[in-house]
Amino acid sequence: MARSNEVNLNECKMVVPLNTWVLISNFKLAYKLLRRPDGTFNRHLAEFLDRKVPANANPVDGVFSFDVLVDRGTSLLCRIYRPATAEEPQPNVAELEKPVTAEVVPVIIFFHGGSFAHSSANSAIYDTLCQRLVGLCKAVVVSVNYRRAPENRYPCAYDDGWTALKWVNSRPWLQSQKDSKVHIYLAGDSSGGNIAHHVALRAIDSGIDVLGNILLNPMFGGQERTESEQRLDGKYFVTLRDRDWYWRAYLPEGEDRDHHACNPFGPNGRSLEGIKFPKSLVVVAGFDLIQDWQLAYVDGLKKAGQEVKLLYMEQATIGFYLLPNNNHFHTVMDEISKFVGSDC
Amino acid sequence: MKRDHNHLQPNPDPSSSLCGGSSTGKARLWEEEAAQQDCGMDELLAVLGYKVKTSDMAEVAQKLEQLEEVMCNVQDDGISHLASETVHYNPSDLSTYLESMLSELVPPAFDPFGAAGTTAAAAATGTLVDSFLPPAESSTLTTLDFENNNRKQIFDEASCSDYDLKAIPGKAIYDSLSSSTHGNVKSEKRLKPTSESPPDIFPPPPPASSFGIPTDSIRPVILVDSQENGIRLVHALMACAEAVQQNNLNLAEALVKQIGFLAISQAGAMRKVATYFAEALARRIYRLYPKNPLDHSLSDVLHMHFYETCPYLKFAHFTANQAILEAFEGKERVHVIDFSMNQGMQWPALMQALALRPGGPPAFRLTGIGPPSHDNSDHLQEVGWKLAQLAETIHVEFEYRGFVANSLADLDASMLDLRPSEVEAVAVNSVFELHKLLARPGAIDKVFSVVKQMKPEIVTVVEQEANHNGPVFLDRFTESLHYYSTLFDSLEGSVSSQDKVMSEVYLGKQICNVVACEGADRTERHESLTQWRNRLDSAGFSPVHLGSNAFKQAGMLLALFAGGDGYGVEENNGCLMLGWHNRPLITTSAWKPANDTTASASATSTVTH
Repeated sequence: MARSNEVNLNECKMVVPLNTWVLISNFKLAYKLLRRPDGTFNRHLAEFLDRKVPANANPVDGVFSFDVLVDRGTSLLCRIYRPATAEEPQPNVAELEKPVTAEVVPVIIFFHGGSFAHSSANSAIYDTLCQRLVGLCKAVVVSVNYRRAPENRYPCAYDDGWTALKWVNSRPWLQSQKDSKVHIYLAGDSSGGNIAHHVALRAIDSGIDVLGNILLNPMFGGQERTESEQRLDGKYFVTLRDRDWYWRAYLPEGEDRDHHACNPFGPNGRSLEGIKFPKSLVVVAGFDLIQDWQLAYVDGLKKAGQEVKLLYMEQATIGFYLLPNNNHFHTVMDEISKFVGSDC
Repeated sequence: MKRDHNHLQPNPDPSSSLCGGSSTGKARLWEEEAAQQDCGMDELLAVLGYKVKTSDMAEVAQKLEQLEEVMCNVQDDGISHLASETVHYNPSDLSTYLESMLSELVPPAFDPFGAAGTTAAAAATGTLVDSFLPPAESSTLTTLDFENNNRKQIFDEASCSDYDLKAIPGKAIYDSLSSSTHGNVKSEKRLKPTSESPPDIFPPPPPASSFGIPTDSIRPVILVDSQENGIRLVHALMACAEAVQQNNLNLAEALVKQIGFLAISQAGAMRKVATYFAEALARRIYRLYPKNPLDHSLSDVLHMHFYETCPYLKFAHFTANQAILEAFEGKERVHVIDFSMNQGMQWPALMQALALRPGGPPAFRLTGIGPPSHDNSDHLQEVGWKLAQLAETIHVEFEYRGFVANSLADLDASMLDLRPSEVEAVAVNSVFELHKLLARPGAIDKVFSVVKQMKPEIVTVVEQEANHNGPVFLDRFTESLHYYSTLFDSLEGSVSSQDKVMSEVYLGKQICNVVACEGADRTERHESLTQWRNRLDSAGFSPVHLGSNAFKQAGMLLALFAGGDGYGVEENNGCLMLGWHNRPLITTSAWKPANDTTASASATSTVTH
C-alpha cells in the first residue's frame, strides 16, 4: 500500500481539464471497489454503476444506431452506427441494414476499453466515441460487446472479436460499391487495442483483409517492470497494481505477463516478419505508465517490416479521447480520419 | 441541443480550473428533456451519463480527493464493505453519490460533514430518502439500524440470507382452496363507473401537446434475426400499415394476404409476431374489432402462464417489492393498495419478507383493485382468501379488501378506509395498469390526484418500456413491431411449449389492441420511462431511487428463473429496467408525493381523507 500513499493528486489535476479529472477519478475509485483482492470481480455493482445508453434508430447529429445479435450462443451483441442520409432522415426498421451506397465505405470494428473487465458497447463513454468516429471517418462503426474477464478469460475476447470480424466481412450491405468488398478497419482503446491486434493476427491466415489497425493507448505488458511503469506508477490515475490485477484476471490461470496475449513481441510472441499485417496507427499517451510496452509494440512492428505510425501525445493521460476538451483529442481524431481516409 | 463533434475549440490551458464543457461543445441531451438542459449542467459529462453542475465541479473534485484519501488510508478490507454491503443509489448524480460514499467511510466521530449523523437519523425514521432532498437532510445510502441489526449479512453474496426477498413461483400458493374464511376478508364493493361515452371507431388522435407531454425520441432497436425472409416480412408489414394509415384498404388487404404467405416461410419468433400483427391489421381493415374485455378466467390463465414462462412479471413484482420493503422499514402497520391485483401473485413474496423482518412483521393490510368478472364470481375475494391463509401460516396479521372497478379512475380515496399516516404506512402499487388510463382524457390525472390523497410512502410503477401511444398510427405500428419482436424472441428460449403458447396469446392480445383499436378501446397505451417521468413529475411526485441491492438481487433472480442468457438489468437514474439483449422492455420506478414530510418524521401532521 506504500505507493498509494504517495499518490500526488495535484499532479494529474494539473494536466487535464477539471471535468476530465472528475470523470476519470470517478472511474478510478469505482473500479477500485469492483476489483476484489482475491481476483474476483463485483460484476453486479459494476453493471449498476456503468452509465449506459440505448441504441437509437432515430438519427442524432447525423448518426443512428441499432444493436444486432451476432451470435446467439454467446449472446454476442454488436452495436452498429451508421450515418443518416439526406434521403432517409428517419430510417425504418426494414432499412437499418440497407446497403451502403458510397464507392468506398470504411467499416470500423471497434473494441471498447476497460482493461478486459469493465464497460460495454453500450457504455455511454464508448457510445459517444463511436458516434464521433462515424462522422469523422464517414464510416460505419461496429462496436463489439465482447465477453469480459474475469468470468471469461483469454481467449474469449479474441474469439468474440473474430466472430464479429467474420460477421462484418460477410454482410452484403457493408460492401463498398467500388469492389464489392467490405473495407475493414480494427480499432480499440486500452484492452480494445490489444484485441484489435490479436484479431488482426487471426485474420492473417484467413483471407479476410484488414485495411488498418487503430490502437488508442493499447493495453500491453510483460513480466519486466519497465522504467515508465516505475516512474509513473500511481501518478496519473493508474497503478501497476491494478494493471497486474487485470492481467491476472484475463490471462489463463497460472500464466504470467509474458504470455503472448499480453506481450506479443515478448519471448512467447509470434514473429510478424514477412506477414501481411495491416498498417497500424498507434497512439501513446505520455502519462500512461505502460507506454514502454506500447512503444516496444511499435518497435516490434517496425522491426518486422510492418507499416506503423506512432502518435506520441506527450501531455496526455489515459482517457483523453473520451472528452473533446483538449488538444490531444483533436490531433488524434484528425490522424484517425486521415488514416482511414487514405484508402479511397 | 446539437452535439458538434467535428468542430471544437481546444482548451489550451488544461490546468485552468474553468471547468465544464468547452464553449462550443454542444452536447446531446442524455435522456432528460428540455426542462433539465439549462440547469448549468456540464454538457460533456451529461453526454457520458453524469449530472454535475458546472458550478459544483470543483466541489465534486474535492469529494473525489477526499474519498481517494480515505480509501488509501484504510486497509483493503476496510473498503470492501462499500462494495458488498452498502447500497448505492443513482450514480449519475455524482455530488450526492460521492457524499454518501464519504459518509459511509468516515467514522461518525470524525465526520466533518455531519452526514453520518444524518444517516442514522434517516435510518431511525425508516425513510427512504432520495437524492433530491437538500444535502443536509439526505443520505442516499441507508445502512439501516434495526434493533438487532445484522444487516451486513444481507448483501453478502456468499450467503443466502432469509431476509432476501425471494421470488415465489406463482403456483406455490395455489393449493386447494380451503372453504373457511380466515382473517378479515371484507366483501367486495362495487363502484359506480364514471359515465362512459360510446367508443369511437377512429376518433381524431389527441394532439400530443394537449397533454403537454413531450414524446420520446429515442428508438432502441435490436435485430435478432437477419434473415432475408425476415426482412421481406417486415417490409410487407410496414407497407401494409402504411396503406392502412392512408386508408388505401384495397392495397392493405392485398398486402395482408401476402404477409400470411411470407410468415409461413419464417421460423420461430418472427413468424408468430408477424402473424399477430397481420391479424391485427386485418381486424383494422375489416373493422372486426376484438371484443373487449376478455373473459376473466381465460385472462387469468394467460396472465399466470406469462408469469411462469418469462421473467417480466417476476421482475416487476420483485423490484416493486424491494422498493416497498424499504419504504416500510420501521413501520408497524402497513397498507398496500394494489391497482393490479389479478391473482395477487406479487404479495406472497412481500408477505414472507415482512414475516422475516428482524423485529417481527408489521400488520399487513392489502387492498386489491381489479376489473369485474363476467360470471359474477368473486375472484378478488378468492385471491384474498388464499393470501389470508398464507398470512396465517407465516404469522402475519393480515387484513384484506377487494374493490371491483371498471377503471382506476372510478376510485376515490374516501372509499378506501385510509387510516392516519402516523398509524399506517401506505404503498400504492401499479403493474402495467397506468397506461390504460391514457385511453380516456382526465383519467390519469384523477388517479394521480387520488394517489396523492392516500399520502403514500411509496408508489411503485411498472410499465412497458416503449412508446406505443404516439399520435401517428404508422409510428405506433413500427414501435410495437420492434418491441414485440424482441419480446417474442426472448420467449423462444423457454422450455415449456404450453407456457410459451399461452404467453404468446397473452402478448398477442396486446398487439391486437395496439394495432386494431382506437379511442377508449385502445388501452395498451404504453409510454416510455421518459414520458412517465414527465407525467409523474408534473403531477407532483418525486422519484424514489431503487438502489444497487435491488439491482443485484434482480440480476440474481434472472439467473434463477430466466430461460435465456439474454436478459439483463439496467439502472437508469434510480429506475430499473429489464431488457433482452440490452433492449429495455419493462421499467420499474418508484415515487412519492413531492414535498412530502413523512408522517413518521413529523408526528404532528394531521391527515384528512
